[in-house]
Amino acid sequence: MNSQVEKVISLEDVSKSFGNLVVANKLNLHVNRGEIVALLGQTGAGKSTVMNMIMGTLEPTTGRVRVAGHDPHSEFDKLRGKLSVSFQTDRLLPWRTAVENTELGLLILGVSHSEARERARTWLKRVRLDGAENKYPHELSGGMRQRVSLARALCVDPELILLDESFSQLDHVTSKTLREDFAQVARQYSKTCLFVTHRIEDALEMSDRVIVLRPGAGIALEQTIDAELRADPVRLQQLHNDIADRMSVGAATEH
Amino acid sequence: MAPAVPKPVSAPPSAERARGEGVIPVLVVVAGLLVAMQIASFYLPPFVMPAPVTIFWATVEILKNEYMHIGVTALRLLVAVLFAMAFGVFLGIVMGIFPKIRPYIRALVIIDTGIPALSWMLLAIFWFGEPEVRIFFILAVILVPFYALSIFDGIRALPRDWVDMIESFRPQRWQVLRYLILPHIIPYVLTTTKSVIGYAVRMAIFSELIASAIGIGSRMSLAQSMFRIDSVLGWTVILVVLNLALQAALTALEKYLLKWRAEANVR
Repeated sequence: MNSQVEKVISLEDVSKSFGNLVVANKLNLHVNRGEIVALLGQTGAGKSTVMNMIMGTLEPTTGRVRVAGHDPHSEFDKLRGKLSVSFQTDRLLPWRTAVENTELGLLILGVSHSEARERARTWLKRVRLDGAENKYPHELSGGMRQRVSLARALCVDPELILLDESFSQLDHVTSKTLREDFAQVARQYSKTCLFVTHRIEDALEMSDRVIVLRPGAGIALEQTIDAELRADPVRLQQLHNDIADRMSVGAATEH
Repeated sequence: MAPAVPKPVSAPPSAERARGEGVIPVLVVVAGLLVAMQIASFYLPPFVMPAPVTIFWATVEILKNEYMHIGVTALRLLVAVLFAMAFGVFLGIVMGIFPKIRPYIRALVIIDTGIPALSWMLLAIFWFGEPEVRIFFILAVILVPFYALSIFDGIRALPRDWVDMIESFRPQRWQVLRYLILPHIIPYVLTTTKSVIGYAVRMAIFSELIASAIGIGSRMSLAQSMFRIDSVLGWTVILVVLNLALQAALTALEKYLLKWRAEANVR
């Protein structure tokens, strides 16, 4: 099989600077189809910059970014329906009910109103929100709102889902439940996910691979998490410590 | 297990009390005014202050015989406010989403707000022969800037997070307008309408007073020239009631259109 087709996200020698500040330096990173990859790093490590370059809202200073075979910046419209994002905050529109928020992406993609509504209801059921379809955001709890946000991202059936600290503002229990639910749904429907977080536990629990970014210096660590590693609490703890060390070195360098 | 659905936010317990607090003071003030007018009517000649009962019968007479003028004024008001709303919203949106032409439209709107209403009224008489056009023009040029500036402010207040969210779906420009900007500015349109409606009624009456032979303003002018102060006060009562009715209608419309909005209950 062609390896180019397999890579849904590919960053080749990507650097990004804002004036004299180098945020990313010759970064090489890829995410394969169906993979859940966690991008870890302290504040200022460049996670959001990488995310924005993948979303196409930022252009790299040098290097090449490809998402589903397209340059996400210069070919912005070609990724319509192929990419969706779940943000740190739910970003639900307060005048739309849960189901109306969920169907928003589909309506933008030109799906008929009736089909969009049906698909939105189905996704709300999948994220365990049946019964809350007609509630407005202010009538939902924080966890429920984030579920709607995930349903909205999944509903357009994208090739790639970007999660930008999507669970970090929730309490520990809600965050864990939601992460597990999301990972289950993402694997069931073979979704490719890039998951940005600063919480090591979240990354180890959810992802198939972790990538640790160091401010201005590219990748500090990259590790695949297979079933064998996941089943070994000692090795998992070692990896946790290793990631924490790499992240703190990055943070020290940053200051 | 599905997460528990929280109970809908219920009206704060103080809401009923607040309604009561709103109605009772109004009734007290109205009763006080009626008593003061009655007392004044004992000491002043009828062409200065007629008794409340005389004003009441003058009001009844107006409602029986001159209701057409109320309809004409209300229609003029409706047409002008709807036009000002549509055109003001259009200008506000253009200012909000086209930064290059924003300073020019903004300058035009600011200059308009600086021109006194009386100047527009006199100019309208010079420029237009048709009374309906004069009144429409006067109301439109006075009201459009309120909407334009308010909507522009509304678009500036649009949360960046929402824009990024909708942009992540790669929408076309009209879709951003349809799904984000227009619903977002509805509260601004309603608030502006509530703020200007009383002013619009006053301007409509002034315009009719000097630019038309029909409508409440012209009838008030006629009553004044015939020394019918009871009729002048009767028309005034009708205008106050009209204004209250418009405010109530707008509040009901706001409640319906903004049902999605959680009401904050500040102690």
